[in-house]
Amino acid sequence: MDITPTTLLPLTLMGYVLGCAAGLLFLRHEKLANLCSFGCATLAALCGTVACVMSLTAGPAAAPIQLQLLPTLIPYVQFTVRLDPLSAFFGLIVSLLGFALSLYSLGYARGFYGRKNVGVLGAFFNLLLLATTLVVMADNAFFFLMVWEIMALSAYCLVSFEHEKPETRSAGVLYFVMSHIGTGCIMLGFLLLFQASGRVLGNYGPDAYSFAGFHALTGNVSWLSSGSRDAAFLLFLIGFGVKAGIVPLHTWLPAAHPVAPSNVSAFMSGVLIKTGIYGMTRVFFDFLGTPPMWWGVTVLSIGTISAVLGVLYALMQHDLKRLLAYHSIENIGIILMGFGASLMFLHMNHPLLATLALIAGLYHTINHAVFKGLLFLGAGAVLHATHTRDMEQMGGLAKRMPQTAFFFLVGAVAISALPPLNGFVSEWLTYQSLLQGFGTTDSLLRLMFPIGGALLALTSALAAACFVKAFGITFLAQPRSEAAAQAHEAPLTMLLAQAVLVAACVFLGLFPTVFLQVLDPLTQQLTGLQISQQLTLANGLVLSGVNQNGGTVSTLGITLLGLCLLSIPFVLWLVFARRAKTRIGPTWDCGLKGLTPRMEYTATGFSKPIRMIFKALFRPRREVQREYDFSPYFTTSIRFEAHVEEVFETRIYRPLNRWVLWASRRMRALQAGSLQAYLIYIFITLLLLLLFAL
Amino acid sequence: MNHSVSIEIGSQIIMLLAALMLVLQLLLVVQRMLLINIRLFALQSLMLTAIATVVAYYYNATHVYIVAVLTLVGKVIFLPWLLNRLVRRINIVQEIEPLFNAPTSMLICGGLTLLGYLVARPFTTLHKLGNNTLAIAITLLLTGFFLMINRRKAISQVLALLTIENGVMLAAVALTTYGMPLVVELGIFFDVMVAVMVLGILVYRIRESFDSMDTSKLDQLKG
Repeated sequence: MDITPTTLLPLTLMGYVLGCAAGLLFLRHEKLANLCSFGCATLAALCGTVACVMSLTAGPAAAPIQLQLLPTLIPYVQFTVRLDPLSAFFGLIVSLLGFALSLYSLGYARGFYGRKNVGVLGAFFNLLLLATTLVVMADNAFFFLMVWEIMALSAYCLVSFEHEKPETRSAGVLYFVMSHIGTGCIMLGFLLLFQASGRVLGNYGPDAYSFAGFHALTGNVSWLSSGSRDAAFLLFLIGFGVKAGIVPLHTWLPAAHPVAPSNVSAFMSGVLIKTGIYGMTRVFFDFLGTPPMWWGVTVLSIGTISAVLGVLYALMQHDLKRLLAYHSIENIGIILMGFGASLMFLHMNHPLLATLALIAGLYHTINHAVFKGLLFLGAGAVLHATHTRDMEQMGGLAKRMPQTAFFFLVGAVAISALPPLNGFVSEWLTYQSLLQGFGTTDSLLRLMFPIGGALLALTSALAAACFVKAFGITFLAQPRSEAAAQAHEAPLTMLLAQAVLVAACVFLGLFPTVFLQVLDPLTQQLTGLQISQQLTLANGLVLSGVNQNGGTVSTLGITLLGLCLLSIPFVLWLVFARRAKTRIGPTWDCGLKGLTPRMEYTATGFSKPIRMIFKALFRPRREVQREYDFSPYFTTSIRFEAHVEEVFETRIYRPLNRWVLWASRRMRALQAGSLQAYLIYIFITLLLLLLFAL
Repeated sequence: MNHSVSIEIGSQIIMLLAALMLVLQLLLVVQRMLLINIRLFALQSLMLTAIATVVAYYYNATHVYIVAVLTLVGKVIFLPWLLNRLVRRINIVQEIEPLFNAPTSMLICGGLTLLGYLVARPFTTLHKLGNNTLAIAITLLLTGFFLMINRRKAISQVLALLTIENGVMLAAVALTTYGMPLVVELGIFFDVMVAVMVLGILVYRIRESFDSMDTSKLDQLKG
C-alpha cells in the first residue's frame, strides 16, 4: 500500500475507533486498557500528522481529498470528509497535539491506577480525538454539527472524570451549558446559510447544506447585501466564540481546564478551543464573502479585550493550571486580533495585508497549540509529582525535576513571545500587519491599529511577567511544602511527549519561512494570494514584512548571535581569569540562622504591583487578622486573606443566573402534575397555531 | 380501463374509507366500554389498511403494500390483542366519568371537524388524491387529542394516541404517496409500536403502585 493522505486518513480514524473500543473492552484490566487505548491513539495521531503534512505540502495545484466514510443510510445525511488546505492545517494541529498527548497519557494515566477507571478515560480520549479530527474535516453542516456535539459531550465526560469532587462537577456543568448555548447559535447560523444557499441553488437538497454550497454564496450579490448575513456573522461569532473562550463568554474555560486530568486540559487548551478558531476561519473567510467594516472592528476589539483581560487575570492566579487557562484566553485574543485586522483589510480591499494578518493569526494558532500543550504537560508532570496545583505549595522543583523544568522554561519563553522561539514570530507578524494598517485608510478607524498594537505590546510584557512568576515560584528557590520536597521526575513517556512539543516550538521559531510555504495553499484558498515569497529574504534565513517600510527579522540569526555573545565571558575567563582563586561561601542570610522557604517571594507578593496598578479592574480586597500577646510588635499569628473580583462573574453571570432562577420559579406554577392539564396546554397551542396559519 | 378513470375510482374509494374512519373515531369518543373501544380502534386500523392497499393498487406504489401489511399485522391484530390482554389482566371494564359528557364531546368534535376542514382548505387544489382526505386526517388528529384529554384511564389515553397516529398515517399514505420515503413510514410505525409496549408496562405499574389507573392521581408524584 502506498502512503498517501487518502490511505492514511481512514487508518487514522480507524485507529481512534479501535482505541475507543480497546478502552471499553479492557475496563477491568487497567494496564492493558492504558496500553491499548492510548497506544492506538498515539499511532493513529501519528498517521494523521503525516497525512496532513503530506496534504499541505502537496502544492496548491493538488485537488482536495474527499472521502465518504459511511454509506448514506438516511436521506439527506451524508458522512463525507474533505481535506482541503484549511482542514489539513487544523488537522495537523489536532493530530500533532493528539500524538504528543497520547504518548504523554501512557505515563500520566498510571497515576489513576487503583483510583479511577483508566479504560473509560482512554475510550473518551479516543472519542474526543476522533470527533475533533472529523470536526475540522467535515464537509457538510449536518455532519459538522453531529461531530461537533460528540466532541463537546466527550470533552464534558472527560472534564468530569474526577466527578467525586464537587468543584469538578460544577465546572463540568458550566462547560456543558455554555457549550450548548454556543451550539445553538451555530445551528441557527447554519440554518440561515442553508436557507440562503437553498434559494440560490433552487433546491433544498444535500447540496444546499454542503460546505461547497455555502462557499458558492460568496458570489451571490443579493446574499452579500442581506441582513441575514450579518445575523449569521453574529451567531457564528457567539457560537464559535464560546468554544474559543473570547471575553465575555470565557467563564467556563478557567473553571473547566484546571479540574480536568492534565492530558485532557492540554488537549482542551491546545486543540479544543482551536476548533472555535477553525469555525470562524471557515465561516468568515470561506462562506460569508467580503466583510463589511464593522465585522473586522468587532473581531479586532474582542480580540484586544480578550488578550489584555486574559493576561491580567492570569497574573492574579496562583493555581498553575488556572493561570495557564487564562493565558489561553489571552492567546485566543491575539489570534483574533490578526483575524479582525484581516477582515478589515479585506473590506478595504488590501488583499496583501489581509493575507499577512490572516497568516499571523493562523501561525499563532498552531504556535499556541504547541506551547500551551507543552506548558499544560509540564503542569501535569508537576501535579503528578506534587499532587497540588497551588503554586504557593511548590518551589525548588528545578533540582528535583530538571527535564520538566527545562521543557517548561522553553514553553514559558515561547508564550512570552521572546525571540527566538515561535511565539515571537507570530506576534511579530501580528505587529507587522497592525502597524502597516495605519496607512491604509483615512477614517478615524485607523486608530484601531496602533491602539491594538500598543495593547498587544502590553499583553506580551504582562505575559512575560506572568511566566517569570509561574516559572520562578514553581521551579526555583526552596520547596515550600513536604510534597514539593519529595517530588520526583516524570516517567519517560511524559518527558518524550514534552520533547516532541519542544522540538516543534524550536522548529516553528527558527525556521518560520519554511513553515510559511506550507501556509501558501491555505491563503490561496481563503484570500487568493500566496505571499510566502514576499515574506522571505536571503534564501529563507530572514523573515520580512510585506513592504519596504516593514521590518525584517531573523530568529536563526538572533540565536546564532546569542550563542556567540554567550561564549564571550567563557572565552574571557579562559584567557584572563583561569588562574584566579575561587572562593565558595554561604549565601548571605541577613544574620538569621539559615534561609527558610517562608522567606521566599510568594506568587501573591510577586503580582502585587500589577494588582495595585490595575486596582480599578481587580478591586482587590484583603483581610489581615493579627494576634499578639503584649504588643503589636510581637505577633503570635497572622491570618491573611486576599481576593480579586472577577468582574464578568459578579457583574454579568451572577445577575443573569439569579434572573433565570427567579423566572424558573415563576414558571413552576405551570407544572401542575396533572397529565390532563399538560395535554390541554399542548392542544391549545396546537389549535392556536392552526388558527394562526389560516 | 382508462388510467384517469381508474384514478377517479381510487380516490372515491379512499374518500369513502376515510369517512368511515372519522365515523369510527366519533364512536370511540362516546363509547365508554374499554373492550369495545379496542375493537373500534382495530376496525379503524383495518380501514387504514384498506386505504393503503387501494393507494398501492391504483397508483402502482409497491412500497405502500409494505405499509399495508405492517398496519394489518401491527395495528389490526397485534396491538388490539395486547391491549385486550392488558384490560383483562388489570380487570377494568369501563371508563369512569370523562371530563365532558357525551353530548358536549360530540359538539366539541363537530367543532374540531369544522376546524380540520378549514385548515385543509388551502390544500384543496391537491389534484392527485381525494382532497377531503387531508381534512379527515387533521380531524382525526385533533379529535384523538381531545379524546386523550377527555379520558382519565391510562389505557384509553394509549388508545387515543394510537388514533392520532392513525390520522398521521392517513395523511402520509393518502396524500404523499410518492413524496414520503418508506423509511419515514417505517419510523413512525415502529415508534408507535414501541411506545405502546412501554406504555402497556407503565399502565400495569401505575395500577400496581396506585391501585388505580387514573392518571389524574399522578400529581402525587410532584415534588
